[in-house]
Amino acid sequence: MSHEKLTLEQREALRGQTLTKHYLANILTHWFNAFSWLLLLPTGLAILLGKAYPFVPQAWNDFVRNVFGGLAPLIQWHAVWGQIWLFVLFFNVFVGFRKYFIPFAATRMLMDRDDWKWLMIRPFQMFGLMKNRPLPPQDAYNGGQKLYSYLVVVGTLMIGVTGMIMTYHHLIPTSLQWLIQWSMPLHFISVGLLLAGIIIHVYMGAIMPEERQAFFSMFSGKVNGLYAYLHHRKWYERKMAEKAAWEDHYRRQMEAEETPAEPAAEMLPEAPNPAIAGGD
Amino acid sequence: MAQKKRYAFVIDPARCIDCRACLVACRAEWNTPPGQTRIWVHTDGPQGTFPNLSQTYVPAQCHHCEDPWCVDACPTGATFKREEDGLVLIDEDACIGCGLCVNACPFQARFRNVQTGKADKCSACFHRVEAGEMPACVATCIGGARLFGDLNDPESTVSQAIRGRAVYRPVTDAVNTQPMTLYLSPPDASAVQVRPTPRDPLVAETFWHAVGLPLVKLAVAGAFAGQAAAFIAQLLKGENEYEDA
Repeated sequence: MSHEKLTLEQREALRGQTLTKHYLANILTHWFNAFSWLLLLPTGLAILLGKAYPFVPQAWNDFVRNVFGGLAPLIQWHAVWGQIWLFVLFFNVFVGFRKYFIPFAATRMLMDRDDWKWLMIRPFQMFGLMKNRPLPPQDAYNGGQKLYSYLVVVGTLMIGVTGMIMTYHHLIPTSLQWLIQWSMPLHFISVGLLLAGIIIHVYMGAIMPEERQAFFSMFSGKVNGLYAYLHHRKWYERKMAEKAAWEDHYRRQMEAEETPAEPAAEMLPEAPNPAIAGGD
Repeated sequence: MAQKKRYAFVIDPARCIDCRACLVACRAEWNTPPGQTRIWVHTDGPQGTFPNLSQTYVPAQCHHCEDPWCVDACPTGATFKREEDGLVLIDEDACIGCGLCVNACPFQARFRNVQTGKADKCSACFHRVEAGEMPACVATCIGGARLFGDLNDPESTVSQAIRGRAVYRPVTDAVNTQPMTLYLSPPDASAVQVRPTPRDPLVAETFWHAVGLPLVKLAVAGAFAGQAAAFIAQLLKGENEYEDA
């Protein structure tokens, strides 16, 4: 990452720039999701009996069950918050913030050739190998982040579906009881694999010094130009091009208003609105 | 607290006349859906050759085993063996009707209640027992074939009934869950409720134990170890505030 030959002046100029990486919709949904995980993971682990499925110590079962006043209220609470979690996530993605999330998914999830190349180099670099291989430029999210996003989407859907089956078990006839029986391990595995991802995600997003900008951007929405340039070159360049196009459009609009005799404004090409189009 | 109770059914098949009042009493007490029952009276029909014929009726229900396989199978503890008196009960508000316990019980004493969608079985009418009454089936048994009480109390009806008598537990060579039903004469019936037969765990259950648990442990431990190593390396290296973006 730091092989870029930038002069000190270039670095300072880039550092002075501010780019919007996350819109408020994204930030709110992210923190709601994180908050829900903080509530649902410890309660869910306390539902699973440590004695039968040795994953958490029995003491954790006892502690959380005592806090909630027993197993049944704990399960009920977990199921209720789980449904609130699902409702808010789905509402945000498909209804409330669809203008943000659907273009967001299109530009930030599809893998291109550079992403695959990045994936073949970057993991080795993290273990001290291939230090001199240049990394291909990345979009707003790198190849690793894009792949992780699939795990998150599939895992979240799996958790949601299996959780709803278990919550509404009484509506499932005994002939379809296998649905409940398979929901339990699949719920557990989906949560477990996402948890492994979350551990990496929290470290890389919040603690690793190279990515510290990413952490603060999840509050402010902003990253500086140097970070964007070094880590997400393609996205940086696209944002700059979008900005230039908008500035150009604005300039021409101003010029058109200064000469009212000509109805030139109508013939101006449609300018991209960077606040909506492409989500970036 | 006083000494713990150790509840048991003591059943004398020789006294059972197959009137099935106990089944009616149980259904009335628990409103069990049609087609399902918490208790049974089994018979293999007439045995022997004329004129030396005999027929045995064997009342049975959940045996509230001392080593309950159903409790071991439950992923959450929604079914449990009650500490203070040994009854094996179901917390219906916690049960999600997955049926692992139903499959695990070698006596097939459990079923999924079609109305509630929960696991169901004999609960020894714990609400009556707590109020000093007998379970409905015992209270209604006119022949005295079904008895219930505390084996730790030497004055209880069950303690008195077994005093000096041979008792037969419904166990086989393959299954000994230490059932807490003591028969005063051999429970000669071939039904599974007195001839326990182990069943294989469900595929989902085996998958969970054999694949799910190790996979998740490995993934979470691996992720944690990876970030811990990176974090330690980061601390050793130190930070350069001018270098990073």
